[in-house]
Amino acid sequence: MKSKLFFLLIFACAALMLTVFVEPTSAQKKRQDNPGGYHGELDFPISWKRYYSYAEWVELMHKMAQQYPQLCDIESIGKSRMGREQYLLTITAKETGPHSEKTAMWVDGAVHGNEVNGITCSLYVAWYLLTRYDYDPYIFEMLNRTTFYILPGLNVDANESFVSWPNNPNNPREPYRPEDNDGDGLYDEDQTEDVDGDGQLSTMYIEDPEGTLTLSEDGRQFVPIVNGVTNNGLRFRRIGSEGYDNDGDGRMNEDDIGGPDPNRNYPSGWNLSAGWPYTMSEPCTRNAFNFMLAHPNIFAGYHYHNTGRLIMFTTPPRPMPGEGQTTAQAPPTPTTQPGQRQRGQRQQQQQVTTPPVQQQLATPPVQQRGQRGQRQQQQQVTTPPVQQQVPPVGQRGQRGQRGQQQQIAVAEEEAPVVTNKYAYTLDREVRAGYEEDKAALEKLVSVGNRILRNYRPSPSASGGSGQAQAATYDMLGAYGILIELWGTPTFDIDLNDDGRASQEEMQDWIDIDLTGEGWVWPHKAQHPDFGEIWIGGTQKKHTQRTPPARYIEMEAYKNAHFVLYNASQFPQVEIEEVKITPCTADLCWVEVTVKNDKIYPTYSDRRFELGKAVPDKLTFNASDNISLVDMPAPETTVTARAAAAAAGARGGRGGGFGGRGGGFNPKAEQLAWINQYFAGRREGTVLTQPEHEFRLKGNDKHTFRYLVKIDGRRGWVEINLASELGGKDQKRVTINVNN
Amino acid sequence: MFGMSNRRKIVSWFMLLLMIVAVAELALGQRRARVVSVRTQSVPISFDDFHGYTGTADYLKRVAQVYPGITELVEIGKSTLERPIYVLVISNMKTGTTIDAHVELRNMRKENVKNVIPMKPYQGKPGHWICGSTHGNEFTGTEVCLYTINKLVSGYGSDPEITKLVDDNTFYICPIVNPDGVFNSVERDISQRQNSELKDNDGDGKINEDGPDDLNGDGHITQFRYRDSEGQYVIDDVDPRLMVRLQRGQETDKQRYSVVTEDRDNDGDGRRGEDGESGIDLNRNFPEGWMRDDGLPGGSGLYATSAPETHAICEFFTNHTNILMAQFYHTSGGFTYRPIGTEADTGIAPRDLAVLDFIMGKKYLEMIGEEVPEAWLHPEDIDKFKAEMEAAGANQYDILRGYKPPRGWRPSYNEQADRRYSYGMATSWAYKQFGAYSITTELWNSRKDMKGIPEFTGADANVQRERASLKYQDEQFGGKFFIPWTRFTHPELGPGEIGGWIPKYRGGNAFPGESLEGVCQTHCDFELFRAGLMPKVVVADAQAKVLYTVDAGQAQVIQQNNQVTISKNQAQGEIKIVEVTATIENVGKLPTHLERGDRLAGNRQDVVWLVTDRDKVTFLEGGVFQQLGVLDGTVEIPGYTPAQPDQAAAPAGMGQFNPQMMQQMMQGQRGQFNQQQMQQMMQQMGQRQGGQRQQQVLTGQRQRGQQRGQRGQRGQAAQEQTPPPPNQRQVRWLIAVEGDVPLKVIASSQRGGTDLQELTIR
Repeated sequence: MKSKLFFLLIFACAALMLTVFVEPTSAQKKRQDNPGGYHGELDFPISWKRYYSYAEWVELMHKMAQQYPQLCDIESIGKSRMGREQYLLTITAKETGPHSEKTAMWVDGAVHGNEVNGITCSLYVAWYLLTRYDYDPYIFEMLNRTTFYILPGLNVDANESFVSWPNNPNNPREPYRPEDNDGDGLYDEDQTEDVDGDGQLSTMYIEDPEGTLTLSEDGRQFVPIVNGVTNNGLRFRRIGSEGYDNDGDGRMNEDDIGGPDPNRNYPSGWNLSAGWPYTMSEPCTRNAFNFMLAHPNIFAGYHYHNTGRLIMFTTPPRPMPGEGQTTAQAPPTPTTQPGQRQRGQRQQQQQVTTPPVQQQLATPPVQQRGQRGQRQQQQQVTTPPVQQQVPPVGQRGQRGQRGQQQQIAVAEEEAPVVTNKYAYTLDREVRAGYEEDKAALEKLVSVGNRILRNYRPSPSASGGSGQAQAATYDMLGAYGILIELWGTPTFDIDLNDDGRASQEEMQDWIDIDLTGEGWVWPHKAQHPDFGEIWIGGTQKKHTQRTPPARYIEMEAYKNAHFVLYNASQFPQVEIEEVKITPCTADLCWVEVTVKNDKIYPTYSDRRFELGKAVPDKLTFNASDNISLVDMPAPETTVTARAAAAAAGARGGRGGGFGGRGGGFNPKAEQLAWINQYFAGRREGTVLTQPEHEFRLKGNDKHTFRYLVKIDGRRGWVEINLASELGGKDQKRVTINVNN
Repeated sequence: MFGMSNRRKIVSWFMLLLMIVAVAELALGQRRARVVSVRTQSVPISFDDFHGYTGTADYLKRVAQVYPGITELVEIGKSTLERPIYVLVISNMKTGTTIDAHVELRNMRKENVKNVIPMKPYQGKPGHWICGSTHGNEFTGTEVCLYTINKLVSGYGSDPEITKLVDDNTFYICPIVNPDGVFNSVERDISQRQNSELKDNDGDGKINEDGPDDLNGDGHITQFRYRDSEGQYVIDDVDPRLMVRLQRGQETDKQRYSVVTEDRDNDGDGRRGEDGESGIDLNRNFPEGWMRDDGLPGGSGLYATSAPETHAICEFFTNHTNILMAQFYHTSGGFTYRPIGTEADTGIAPRDLAVLDFIMGKKYLEMIGEEVPEAWLHPEDIDKFKAEMEAAGANQYDILRGYKPPRGWRPSYNEQADRRYSYGMATSWAYKQFGAYSITTELWNSRKDMKGIPEFTGADANVQRERASLKYQDEQFGGKFFIPWTRFTHPELGPGEIGGWIPKYRGGNAFPGESLEGVCQTHCDFELFRAGLMPKVVVADAQAKVLYTVDAGQAQVIQQNNQVTISKNQAQGEIKIVEVTATIENVGKLPTHLERGDRLAGNRQDVVWLVTDRDKVTFLEGGVFQQLGVLDGTVEIPGYTPAQPDQAAAPAGMGQFNPQMMQQMMQGQRGQFNQQQMQQMMQQMGQRQGGQRQQQVLTGQRQRGQQRGQRGQRGQAAQEQTPPPPNQRQVRWLIAVEGDVPLKVIASSQRGGTDLQELTIR
């Protein structure tokens, strides 16, 4: 016995030591891209097959913040009308920078109180990010460069009521502002009640000799009387949904908890009829929107609703009256799958049309275009030798190439053009200047289509009569997406495809798919206004607008996946290469190629029109012996100015560069030669100032050229690229001159 | 020791006094209300100076304390800098009722949500909103509000007209909408139109770090003048205290000066006063027409109502649906903007236009002594005037109305350029979206309203007026509005002098004293005139008559061919079949809503309830409540012919309604339409263009509710042979009553008040 205990002790010690010493090693190994690997879900066990009350979901959020302090913060953004705190999670890898300095995704759920599926779906996004960060390189990269602001239940008062109290599918939907729905002068005075106290709202019937309904043979449901055949002579009349006549006006449930539709309460396209009483009148919507306004790093927003399986997204505004056909309508050629999930930055080759190619001299221009995911991050170039590379001809024709760029790479083979059944084209005109947003949204929705499978894209107009997703786009310039989660049973149970769910089909759905859940067996009950009544039929809650709990997880996963894909496409600026090519003995071209491989431009067209966009900035810096040369256009008179002098005289921005070495003044004949040499061959934009502002669009690439004079034997050139929402990149090239 | 015993004595005397008062109060009971009638002004107020934020807040608190029977002080929100925004409610607090106080609700949902706050009795009377200082530096409006408060509270009980107004109506007086702006403008001498915002204006990471400063510590921020060869000012020849601005390019031999605000560069960035508190223009932050036609923000702020002050006003209105009159005082000019500024007059309902111009506008012009347009004197001949306008080639809106808007009473819409005045203005909002006769009076016409100095004309009129004003304040106010120039060395500008007018006494506000009082009096009187136009809904002539009495027991009838057997259950007492009839009448002057008022979201028709014991009464005919539509007032509105009721009710137009146009309208792209299209659309909508009609199109749920309501209305017995006058409705119920029950007929109108009559069954 003793020895056994001893061994046990040793074993325990060994196990302990193992945990202590092995733990760090295994932590390093956690991150893997094995689809069969463990992804951390048991680190924070949680059931995704149930709905949570306010207290429960708030507790979950607090626990998330507790367990993942390096990734997650919780805060209240304000109080609801009834005084509930509105808790929001901020999720990002804190060690890579504060949340406010990273491009952010907004996710909210259940602005309509009854659409509580959105609460679980947004919580799921949070949970997925947190648990997988250590395990999944995709999430790891994402949280390192992206922030998520997640507000699971926006309309907390109604959300809590819907989850915790007997309700029908449509109530409570609005925030708790008192409203007089029936015009009797009283507010919210006749709400629904659970008459039989079974925790569900169902339908009330009363025995009536004139009634047209009877009980089915099995006593399970109320059915129309056919040929006068009744069940034991029972005849019923339907009264309506469970409830009492609270105010004695002879009607029931006619003035339920009311208030404006919170998703007509946002400022863009707001109107009184839909959004009474005024914009952002409800504490819950005001708090949420104020938070969004205070966080200009928000790049896109998801708003979860039920129901209908829709990908709604705010389209760019329509053309102004009198504005002609401004955009060439995208030809209805099927767009192809725009890129698969990128597993970290190392494998960006996935989007490349052609197989990865080595740096080639004089590659045909067409192939040249495809050089997008160059692996070489660091380039040490010395001059000479310089690769006399033919400048890629088609750089400016970027837009036409998108289709090609999006083709799926099939390793080592000619990439066939795959028709994509999920491809989506927005068939409406947009206002001039909104072409990039249109293009980006089309690509995004195409992928959303693919991820969500049986969802349907549904463009929602800019202006959107006070809807949240419209305000997200129209007023913040962030892309606004509204997801109508799940579908009513009609989607699944309409066996004869007549577009509706008959009583029999509904019954089958409950019996087969829900294994009998969601049914109230007809039974007698006492009603203060009617006396003896019967109650029975479907349970109102979680059988129509919100899915039965068993479907929550299924819905949550694919929707989280769409959010993550969206975030993965936030702009990311990169300096693809800095290349030095010779011009004359002491003049060189510095050719800088910058790109954004993501679907999204570095800022939306809307953000630009709102005046909130900060342009991307390219900065040239160099050692003292390297100076910028201002190249005159070939047709101008041959006079030269040194860039340094020019920069000084013009008071160039920032003053980071310029005024060094007294300027360069090459001889006239030299310049003439230069002009001749480069006439008609200059590709890309020639820059003569150390700072340049521009915009990288979605899936965009630009080449810029600087003409520099190099004195001495060695020096360096440093290029900085900075985008407010698209990140930063820097490349430095050391130059050695051999005589 | 001596002190102690003395104090005890005082205390016991005091206690005795208290007891006497208490006993007297018990004994007098009902008569106490009349005691008020002998009370004279109890909270003194003078208009020899501006009250500012602090003075106003103090005054309001004291009034609320001294007049608890007719006032209540409500804090409706806080400014950015946490200063309370006050509304003083003035109404006879002992009268008035609301429908929610009488309808017993039973078997309520167990969740027991307490989101509905019981209404105050004064919400059952027509409401009159009067506010000032939406723009902080336009504080004359605050003084008019205070003057009006004083007039109401001190006149109550002694002046029968005022007593009636305070008994019948509820005044919501908000002297300062923009506390921070007023505080800065009056208390700190920093003229601030906008609200305050915690905002970094100059992008240096610091908030509000560089506003004007009281450099010499004399308690005022005035001006700093210094010799400057490039300066634009010289010293006046006549009164050397005055600085006269040179004309552009004007030569002079005199010493030139520059005059700047008393201020220094607080943050050392080389600029003065570049980051003060000034935030946004609150009168561009209201929801009506805040967006531009192209969907980009047009008004001020991050969104309409984003400012705490605007938010407070909108929320207050929403919760006080009894407001029918609204006045938003501004300065200056001495005229009134009537609605609306975001649309041309084609956007205003004809009846409202007639009320605003022919009734209110006419009176206003008379009161400020300006000529009333000929058409307003003879509105019955309006067609003739329209023809005249057309013949004269007048502006399209002049032709439509039949007259040009006079200077003193006009729409703010720019009719010449056919362009909106601006975005998101309070008056437009309160008219268009809330449904009130809202106006904005630009107080103070410095040329006409300045008392004590003559009117000057000619090229140097301004300088002459300036000299006279200076002299006037020397004589009337001991010179305290002007700080003599004293030497001061400015930290950045070097030697010079500080002094000059204290800024709040110059510029766009009424001059304190008799001039200010004159402005106050005129405009107070005008608002009281408007208060006198209010509707007043009463239950007249309610009766309950027993038609017959029946046995309450049940009977069973069995019929076999010609054999009928009736078997009665045991007798269960008697049931009376009672007919209840009542006349609901609006004895006030104006209808209970604007022309489209009842159809705006949040509004409703007038209703009448028959409140009884639910357990003992069964309604046989007529619902528990019946909708009455909108009751007209007693005054025939000049120049207005009501649309045929048949047309108004017929939804036929909706059939031809162009959904595309509606959709575009929903998107707020109203500007895409020309006026003709708008008119056409309105006609299609059968003049039911208000909010609820749109709602019906939009949401099926509300539509159903609405239809149910209409069904109730149809069921009413009012469809008799001879229709009652438009300010009356006949209602009738048939009820079965067990035993004796109390009956209450309660008429409830949102804007027209609530009235109750108790009945006994005869």
